[in-house]
Amino acid sequence: MIDLDPRTRIVIVFFISSAAIILKEIKSLLLLLTLTLAICMLLSISLKKATMRLKRLWYVFIVLALVQSIFTHGGEPLLALGGIEILTTKGLETGISIILRMSIIIYSALIILITSPMDMVYGLAAMKMPQEIGFMVLLAIKFLPLIKEEFIDSIIAVQLAGADLKRIPLGKKISLYTYILTPSVIKALRRARFISLSMECRGFRAYSTRTYYRKLNMKKGDYAIIVVTLIFLIAIVSTSW
Amino acid sequence: MSFYIIDSLAFSYNKNTSLLKNISFVIEKNQHIGLIGENGCGKTTLIKLMLGILKPQKGTILLEGQNVRDIPLSQIGCKIGYVFQNPEKQLFCPTVWEQMSFSFIYGNEIDNQDMEDRINYYLDLFELEKYKNDSPMKLSRGEKQRLALASVLSRNVDYLIMDEPTIGLDILRKKQLEKCLLTLKSEKKGFMIISHEPNFLEKYVDKLLILSSKGVEVI
Repeated sequence: MIDLDPRTRIVIVFFISSAAIILKEIKSLLLLLTLTLAICMLLSISLKKATMRLKRLWYVFIVLALVQSIFTHGGEPLLALGGIEILTTKGLETGISIILRMSIIIYSALIILITSPMDMVYGLAAMKMPQEIGFMVLLAIKFLPLIKEEFIDSIIAVQLAGADLKRIPLGKKISLYTYILTPSVIKALRRARFISLSMECRGFRAYSTRTYYRKLNMKKGDYAIIVVTLIFLIAIVSTSW
Repeated sequence: MSFYIIDSLAFSYNKNTSLLKNISFVIEKNQHIGLIGENGCGKTTLIKLMLGILKPQKGTILLEGQNVRDIPLSQIGCKIGYVFQNPEKQLFCPTVWEQMSFSFIYGNEIDNQDMEDRINYYLDLFELEKYKNDSPMKLSRGEKQRLALASVLSRNVDYLIMDEPTIGLDILRKKQLEKCLLTLKSEKKGFMIISHEPNFLEKYVDKLLILSSKGVEVI
């Protein structure tokens, strides 16, 4: 596995996701997706595992793409009911480009997600980001699985209290989920408060400057991968204009 | 038919180390069991397996003759009351009263008067009635533990599993818990307690399970 500097990862992801927003054509988005997947493979990210883990998210994107396809008009009609155009070539194009754009953003995010949260802080600090922001990012990354865990624990507690989630009518189910979400959020906020207290007790923000034990060094490989990615990105963007 | 039959159970959280192996024992419906073992030996994991929260890698767990794997969690919850090791994980309702009444509304069918009587009895017993309309999140560690106990004890379940129920309780509240255990015994209801207090356990259990890396020893 290629070990990239956290700053290299941040820069690559920034360039790729910016390009995904700028690009409009399906062909260019496809090229960008290929480049993103190639970088993921270079970093030994298991694309199969990642795709499976994000299964539910893909359904949301597909629904989003369908809605966009139906409500975007223009181009040749592909499907019409009683004179009303349901699907047009322009709508289909918009739908496909949404799926491609989302895929690029998600797969590129994996490049950062496989970095250890502490390395991310070092990376952000080396990029002259204020230490508070760096640690906010660290806590946000660490907190997401914790909130998920809290929510799962609450769901288990609800079921062990005898509630059958499959049989409860929809209205009651919605109020039940509100029940569960509220304490999960409160618990997460309380935990955040305790962590900030604990950090300040250990001297966080006690001095205006901060030194770091680990020094990051950009290697030749880091510069090479940034340059190669940039060349590819410029080529893709220039073909679409 | 035995209430629980655990046969050749094995479980591990990762491939390299096995937490539980060769675990076999039987629990009768009205039996009072104590479960002890070193920190991290897998006591809570064993309970989670028995409740169907975790799935074993090897072996079977039968609850009233049915494999726990095939029983929905809510059905297990209707038969077994479980007091979590960390009461915060168990308390998910906006108020103490709603927490107490949750199982009656969503789980066991019972008439309203009976529900109110039972809830008031346990709120009174654990001195929680003044917090009726407060959020469980505002309670102290000990009060949360008392609420978790009260919400489980008030339910009409066949068997109770309590994971370290004495943590955070002062002497007075421990006595109240002991009173509840005696009431359960007189009602011929079974329970299982995980505890690090052998003196507390020996007063209330008929059988002691000692969990270790080698398996389970029954005393």
